[in-house]
Amino acid sequence: MKDKLEEIRATALGAIGRAESLDALEQARVEFLGRKGGLTDVLRGLRDVSPEERPALGKLANEVKDAIANALDECKAALEGKEAEKRAQKDRVDLSLPGRKPALGHQHPISTVTEELLDIFLELGFQVATGPDVETEYYNFDSLNTPADHPARDSHDTFFVKPGVVLRTHTSPVQMRVMEQTHPPVAVVVPGRVYRVDLDASHSPMFWQVEGLLVDRGITFADLKGTLMLFVHRFFGADVKVRFRPHFFPFTEPSAEVDISCSVCKGKGCRVCKYQGWLEILGCGMVHPEVFRYANYDYETYTGYAFGMGVDRIAMLRHAISSIGHLYENDLRFLEQF
Amino acid sequence: MRISLNWLREFIDIDIDVDTLAHKMTMLGIEIEAIERPWQGITGVYVGEIRSIEPHPNADKLVVCKTDVGRDQPLQIVCGATNMKVGDRVPTSVVGAKLVGGFEIAARKMRGVPSEGMMCAADELGLGEDHSGLMILDPSIPIGTDCIPLLGLDDVVFDVEITPNRGDCASMIGVARELSALLGVPYRVPEVRITETSEPATQFSSVTIEAPDLCPRYIGRVLPSVRVRRSPAWMCQRLIAAGQRPISNVVDITNYVLLETGHPLHAFDYGLLEENRVVVRRARAGEVIITIDGDSHPLSPEMLVIADAVRPVAVAGIMGGKESEVGEETSRIFLESACFDPVSIRRSSRALGLQTEASAHFQRGADVDMCLYACNRAAALMQELADGVVAAGLLDEHPRPPVRKTVQLRYDRANLLLGADIPAHTQRGYIQSLGFDVVEASETACTFRAPTWRHDVSQEADLIEDVARLYGYDKIAATLPSISQVEQVFAPFEARVRRLRALLVGAGLTEMMHWTFSQAADVRKSELPDAYLDMVALANPLSENLSTMRSSLIPGLLDNVTRNLHRGNGSIRAFEIGPVYKPRADKDLPDETLRIAVVLTGAAASPHWASEQRSVDFYDLKGIMEVIADHVGAVAAYQPLEMGPFQTGQSASVVVDGRELASMGLVKSTVLKAYDIEQPVYVLDADLQALLALNPAAKQFEEIPQYPPSLRDIAVLVDNDVPAGALCEAARDAAGKILRSVDIFDVYTGKQVPEGKKSVALSLVFQSPERTLTDQNTQKAWDKILHKLETEFNATLR
Repeated sequence: MKDKLEEIRATALGAIGRAESLDALEQARVEFLGRKGGLTDVLRGLRDVSPEERPALGKLANEVKDAIANALDECKAALEGKEAEKRAQKDRVDLSLPGRKPALGHQHPISTVTEELLDIFLELGFQVATGPDVETEYYNFDSLNTPADHPARDSHDTFFVKPGVVLRTHTSPVQMRVMEQTHPPVAVVVPGRVYRVDLDASHSPMFWQVEGLLVDRGITFADLKGTLMLFVHRFFGADVKVRFRPHFFPFTEPSAEVDISCSVCKGKGCRVCKYQGWLEILGCGMVHPEVFRYANYDYETYTGYAFGMGVDRIAMLRHAISSIGHLYENDLRFLEQF
Repeated sequence: MRISLNWLREFIDIDIDVDTLAHKMTMLGIEIEAIERPWQGITGVYVGEIRSIEPHPNADKLVVCKTDVGRDQPLQIVCGATNMKVGDRVPTSVVGAKLVGGFEIAARKMRGVPSEGMMCAADELGLGEDHSGLMILDPSIPIGTDCIPLLGLDDVVFDVEITPNRGDCASMIGVARELSALLGVPYRVPEVRITETSEPATQFSSVTIEAPDLCPRYIGRVLPSVRVRRSPAWMCQRLIAAGQRPISNVVDITNYVLLETGHPLHAFDYGLLEENRVVVRRARAGEVIITIDGDSHPLSPEMLVIADAVRPVAVAGIMGGKESEVGEETSRIFLESACFDPVSIRRSSRALGLQTEASAHFQRGADVDMCLYACNRAAALMQELADGVVAAGLLDEHPRPPVRKTVQLRYDRANLLLGADIPAHTQRGYIQSLGFDVVEASETACTFRAPTWRHDVSQEADLIEDVARLYGYDKIAATLPSISQVEQVFAPFEARVRRLRALLVGAGLTEMMHWTFSQAADVRKSELPDAYLDMVALANPLSENLSTMRSSLIPGLLDNVTRNLHRGNGSIRAFEIGPVYKPRADKDLPDETLRIAVVLTGAAASPHWASEQRSVDFYDLKGIMEVIADHVGAVAAYQPLEMGPFQTGQSASVVVDGRELASMGLVKSTVLKAYDIEQPVYVLDADLQALLALNPAAKQFEEIPQYPPSLRDIAVLVDNDVPAGALCEAARDAAGKILRSVDIFDVYTGKQVPEGKKSVALSLVFQSPERTLTDQNTQKAWDKILHKLETEFNATLR
């Protein structure tokens, strides 16, 4: 009987070793460990063995059973590994095929840039204010210290709706609308469409501005410089150079225009900056006393600064857009690039 | 304005290089937009004396000259000009020289005779258009002198922007004055020396001002004799550098003095003035003038004119009249130097459509003192360059002496506003250096009297700006203010519009932004109801198709679809957010409402190798509407719509709280045809402002059910026109609270479904928050649902 057990062990391990598939292995399991299998037969025969021999044989039988079971498990694991590998081989993906990308649309560069500009000022503590596109001459000009017959009106080629009503030529009228509604402190940024009678490769009759107004006690020109330098460095990059150059706006005094070093040629001079190395990006200044007078703010108590910039120009600079026309034609081949 | 650096040096000594000077001017507020060297590249031109002129052996129209340019031998030059004589000194280009346009001088034979250079006419050196003969130079200039510096061909020209408030800077003297203050170097004006005749000007003419409100000063000078001819080279060079065309000495002198002083002058042909006198008056109704540009202008009584005894001879301060214009025959001059009211000039100039150098200067305000200097300067130049004889004395009418404004500067205030610490004496020095006089000074403040040319100065802030300019904007520190905010919110919807935009981009739509202009024809083309014809019209539109503000976003988007389809962009999934405009009878300003429009056409998604392509349909559009409604928290009902651009049966009115806040659907075929579109287009147009104003309460959390749901389906046959949504509602009604959700998972017509019927399959989820439902519970509810569907919709179970 002992011999028989050893023989079963040898045959079984041999058969398991030769099994090349899970099916063959299962067959081996049934053959040696199944209810009608060889080992079961032997174990049944234990009943007929003498009580003296039974413990030793029983032990051996269990050893053989365990050995076969272990061999089966090991072999099964190995075969499963091989099968999984085969499957993985078959299921390999083509890395070059495009992914199933969620169908995202594209935001218009004007609104993207506007949002980014606003965010810088919102973080500093400004809030957004808006006003109407169709505006009274009073808000667009008179209350901004630009009375009728003021030469500065010439540079704003204005669309008229009727006497006293215009399409706003800048976002500055919102300054007065906000100041009329509240007492200082005032800290607003104003995005909006503005209009001028002008149409060529570099002018659109409708374009976008972002305006800023800060009024409180003790606001200085140095604060204006600090705020706008922070803005330029955040938006255009920390290595961009900034200069404030005297200029004229009827509603600020002192006034300045802000130039940044040309992003295209890094200040060396090129066609974009007209070989000056600088690009004008915004106008600003300290709120004019006359404007405070219109707003009923005490000029001696409060000071303030205001600034305004053209979103289109900034978007065009940033994205190297060749003509302002692209922004409003809305050709999908343009929009889908952003 | 163009500033010749050579010319500027006549008024102020400048010992810094061109780029530094340009930078300093820009930082002073005189922005240099470009630096030009108009004659750069011209070389090899020297003063030569013509030693001999011989006939050309082979050509009648040429001569052979020997010209001495200071070399060992005179140069033999074949020449076609006729205006020179032996002994004349002329600009002579030698072999290797380069002239205008890069034209290079080489030794060559001309009709068989060798020529080793060229004697130049003005145009060949870029000094005007004159090609009538050689430039004859002053005989005192040494032979061999380099013509490049001599004729100013080494000049540098700054193209500068003068801001509208600083008209006083729009001249050589004006720029020199500013630079003088900045550089701390005095400026000078050319000395005027006139030798007057014994005959007084009053004997020749008179000046009467009948409109003193519009003409504070009028100075006339009479030159009983002048000789009109070409201006000298140096004057031509400067005029050209400044962007002007030399004409003749008398006219050139008035232009030259304008550039120099900023004060416009006018020269009349004295002989053509009726009764030889001048009247400054308002135009009379019906009067007409032909200006020197040849145009005829009817005049009105608001306009100031210069008249002789009977008729207007100039539109004051804007343009002279043709009839009294100085020409080649002119021998006597009445020279005008006057000051006019800026507003009156501006209005007349606009009304007549005449913008001139003179009107530009007068609009920005003239300097009454410079008025006198300019008059004398011009008279002196006419004496020097036009053999002018100057009658004694001025005809100077000065009805309104100027008031020089006094303005106080508080030093602390300047430092407070600038955030700087500029000492009092420094501030005071800056203002004085700009020509202001001190009226009264204390330790803390100083009152100044503004110079006659500074019309822009009226208050302290103006002086503070001057302090800042001269101190240097770049020297002022950069600090960050602490920013306080008020409770009031000025743009309550801004953040939510922004989120909606991001949401729609995430949902696959591309944002568009069109001009907000439109026209009535767009409303008709898109078959919008007549109410949309009530539009805000522009008085001065760019063109007919941009003549109103839009009353709807739809026409703009349909135009865009046409454009994109024609360019081969066949699938469009886009939206636009922006205002529409509607006039209000009782208000000056129209109503501006924020709207959102969506357009879908072509494929529902970009093609993908693993997905099937399908075209967009109504339900794609409705899905977008559902996204928008969810975003704003609106509960929307969809009702059949029969309106304008939309196809009945495939369009809906979206009702929220009883209000129609959006319309949407397939665009009518007639509209598509009008827009030349040949594929289905779906459009949605919603009142975004009203949707955002719904502002629903915050969502309240509902406990997640503890007990398992029980899932059942039901599929029924109903008539085709039964809305599937009604079946869901009936199911909810019938089952009550334990029906947690009902969804339509299939709608089918076709095989196995009788004609006129459809199969609708609902998936039902039963669930109770209190207990596990038994089969009996669910079955009972299911039976109730079936019963309701049977009785209410004549449904049969499939």
